[in-house]
Amino acid sequence: MIFAYLDPGSGSLILQAVLGGVAGLGVAAKAMRSRWRSRKAEESAPEQTSEQADPVPAEDAQEG
Amino acid sequence: MNRADPGSFRDPASHVVLGDTTVTRILDERGLADWRALQQTEFFRRATADGRLIETSEVEAPEGAAGALEHPRLRFITYPYEWTFSMLRDAAVLQLDLMLEALAEGMILKDATPYNVQFVGGRPQFIDIGSFEQYRKGEPWIGYRQFCRQYLHPLLMEAWCGVPFQPWLRGDPEGPTSAQMWRLLPARRKASPAAILHIGLQARAEARLAGREVRRSLAEAGFTADLIRANVEKLRALVESLEWETAGGAWSTYHGCDHVARDRNLKTEFLIEALEEVSPATVLDLGANDGHFSQVAVSRGADAIAVDGDEVVLDRLYRSLTPGVSMTPVLTDLQNPSPSQGWAGVERPSLFERARPDLVIAYGLIHHLIYTASIPPANVVEWLAGFGVPVVVEFVAPEDPMVAQLTANKRPEELHADRDREAFERLVRRHFEVVREADLPGGTRRLYHLAR
Repeated sequence: MIFAYLDPGSGSLILQAVLGGVAGLGVAAKAMRSRWRSRKAEESAPEQTSEQADPVPAEDAQEG
Repeated sequence: MNRADPGSFRDPASHVVLGDTTVTRILDERGLADWRALQQTEFFRRATADGRLIETSEVEAPEGAAGALEHPRLRFITYPYEWTFSMLRDAAVLQLDLMLEALAEGMILKDATPYNVQFVGGRPQFIDIGSFEQYRKGEPWIGYRQFCRQYLHPLLMEAWCGVPFQPWLRGDPEGPTSAQMWRLLPARRKASPAAILHIGLQARAEARLAGREVRRSLAEAGFTADLIRANVEKLRALVESLEWETAGGAWSTYHGCDHVARDRNLKTEFLIEALEEVSPATVLDLGANDGHFSQVAVSRGADAIAVDGDEVVLDRLYRSLTPGVSMTPVLTDLQNPSPSQGWAGVERPSLFERARPDLVIAYGLIHHLIYTASIPPANVVEWLAGFGVPVVVEFVAPEDPMVAQLTANKRPEELHADRDREAFERLVRRHFEVVREADLPGGTRRLYHLAR
């Protein structure tokens, strides 16, 4: 894992693939698929707790 | 005397120590490796030669450090909340240009904050050499969100919403989030592809993915530097296209006022005499307007700090500067100048801790403080004395037509005492010695060269 002293924002990172144009859309889709798969794997693990659910801040989730 | 820069501590790979005339950047192993790579690039040589990058030389590392770099110490530092629209836009373009040039040679800028840019000779200069690092395959641009919050959103706030960005950046130096920016945008702007992608979609992605690991997923999915380049090129075109549409500030027609044209030559001559006697290295021009008197100081060999509270006139002044001119425009309201703020209250020193003049010009200023801002004359004189240096000041009597305008809606009892010339001179003598004085033609204005 490479260290960044700045919080890059996960959403802003993924978005950059989309902003890279047509070539990036495939990358974004692939990254989201692999993220979705690893999330599924997490969910099927027995020690899953409610705290690990996707945190969507109510305030920010309304817009966009 | 060397001391750690109170504003340089966030990046563990590189931090800054301030000397009297130089700045030393202390590097760890990683910072040193990145410097070595940067030093080999063509763009580093090119951008240093044309002044877009600060001059840098490697010096002996102090004990415990892997490496050290030395830069000239800038005489005066400004912050983005003291910049006009064009200043922030030019800094943004510089940031993006350096990104593109760095990417072309296998490097990248790890952050994207306007605090890494200063105005030197009227042009933006990138000063944080420690921001360049070697690009690692598959990595996205870590500074993209910061670029949006500290450059793009403030520029859009002014260009698309007609709202000045400086109060926001002064209140929240991190800048507006994409969710906040989305709420600010007018409906017709929300329909533009740039707004949808950079703001709307980013706000949604931020909310959906907060705290989730995505860097590895992106690298595995085949993310490349070409995607960053495509994004940065589009951002650059967007930023360059932004115009600030303004109806004109309250002071934009000031130089057309009768008394300004009439008095300008005499005020210039009076100032020149003071400049010749004081030989200041730095002149602080308070209420600089079109920058005429700052320019006079510059032409006599001084650095000028041109302070004004009107963004329209100051932006015009900035755009008129000849490259290389040692004048720095500063947007601040003198009733409420930039305070000391940031981490522990000292990260970003106040304007007057940074601006250390050898001479202060206060032409066409104090009557506005006294009559518009309702500052008592005694406080105004005491404030000028607080700079501890000679002052060239224009006194405006209560009978002046401009004062009549300023007080048109005030009753006499709502005005402070000590407004007449005798009272002003009494106040002045408490703090200063009068070196020279001269009346201006209209009979209601008088110039004073005051020494401490």
